[in-house]
Amino acid sequence: MMQSSPLNLRRATNWIGRLVLGGIFIYAGYAKIFLPIMHPRPSIGVALAFFALQVGSYQILPPGGVNFVAHTLPFAEIALGLLLIIGWQLRIWAVLSTLLILGFFAAVVRSYAAGMQINCGCFATPEPLTLWTVIRDGALAALALAMTVFAFIEARKPHPWSAPQPAQSSALPR
Amino acid sequence: MNRLRTAGLLALSLAGFLALLFGPALGVRAGQSSTVPDIDPHVTAGSKNAPIVMEVFSDFQCPACKTLFMTTNRQVLDNYVSTGKVFLIHRDFPLPMHAHSQVAAQYSRAAAQVGKFDAVEEALFQNQEKWEQTGDVDGTVAAVLSPAEMTKVRALVKGGTLNAAIQKDVALGKLYNVNQTPTTVFHAKGQTFPYSGVMSYEILRNFLDQLGK
Repeated sequence: MMQSSPLNLRRATNWIGRLVLGGIFIYAGYAKIFLPIMHPRPSIGVALAFFALQVGSYQILPPGGVNFVAHTLPFAEIALGLLLIIGWQLRIWAVLSTLLILGFFAAVVRSYAAGMQINCGCFATPEPLTLWTVIRDGALAALALAMTVFAFIEARKPHPWSAPQPAQSSALPR
Repeated sequence: MNRLRTAGLLALSLAGFLALLFGPALGVRAGQSSTVPDIDPHVTAGSKNAPIVMEVFSDFQCPACKTLFMTTNRQVLDNYVSTGKVFLIHRDFPLPMHAHSQVAAQYSRAAAQVGKFDAVEEALFQNQEKWEQTGDVDGTVAAVLSPAEMTKVRALVKGGTLNAAIQKDVALGKLYNVNQTPTTVFHAKGQTFPYSGVMSYEILRNFLDQLGK
């Protein structure tokens, strides 16, 4: 069997996707839990309650849903980011990341189209939701989609670093 | 090859940690000084010694400011300000896009001087749709004040001295990076939390409870 090239567009996209999206997820979750822009840093309870205000500003979920998302999303982002970077069972985490980013993108597009003057809340900073936010989230969603599709394609092929398989013998066993 | 892969993963982990370390420098400033300057006692509610200070940068002609006032801040006044947990400060931030915002801010400031800020604030927000079309801020305010109070208010507005106080609020807002209304800046335990937009009372209540702990 012919061995595939160690580096091609699909593998490069997967590596970039894992690195970029994994890093962004980890930082986004960390920023929401610890509010590193604040000095002195507030408690985790205050930080998550503040994040809940930002989730609520999108006016998509009822108060109960807002609190649930605010108290689970940052931890899920960190876990997802780490799993993407580690690369174990990549297809599963790539699909989940893509769904999550598409959800963010839909929320951002909806709010921007409705002319809502709110903060993005993406990295726990008072960053207004603008066209730039929509473009940035769109680019991340495209990267996540490409990573997921390529992860499935690459999974069907032999790993480039795996030992070449021995040629099949046509001789019948004795 | 496995070594190479491990080295790659280690490099990625290192990059993640570096992002965590240097990431804060990339963020927008949120935590600044906890001191709240230039407090006009006529436009505040509650005790100055309350553990939480809420500065609301508001524009009387902005619909979202009306929503925040009618749905959320009234409940905050009832449940947190009256119990000494929150000190509420009104800050004027009239946006240039609103034709009558500046005049409305002047009238509310003048009413504050005669001790009627709460009544005028309520009247301006409640009748926002009417006076924003007609521009009759004077009539809206006159409806909730006595003739003697209204005479004083008109004199103060004509005097033109109120603009300085409004401009002070605007300058303070710019210091907090306020670029839209309503923006609420929370201060507690030396920390500052700026938030733009309308908040639901149920969610705000959780935040205030956490801040007060």
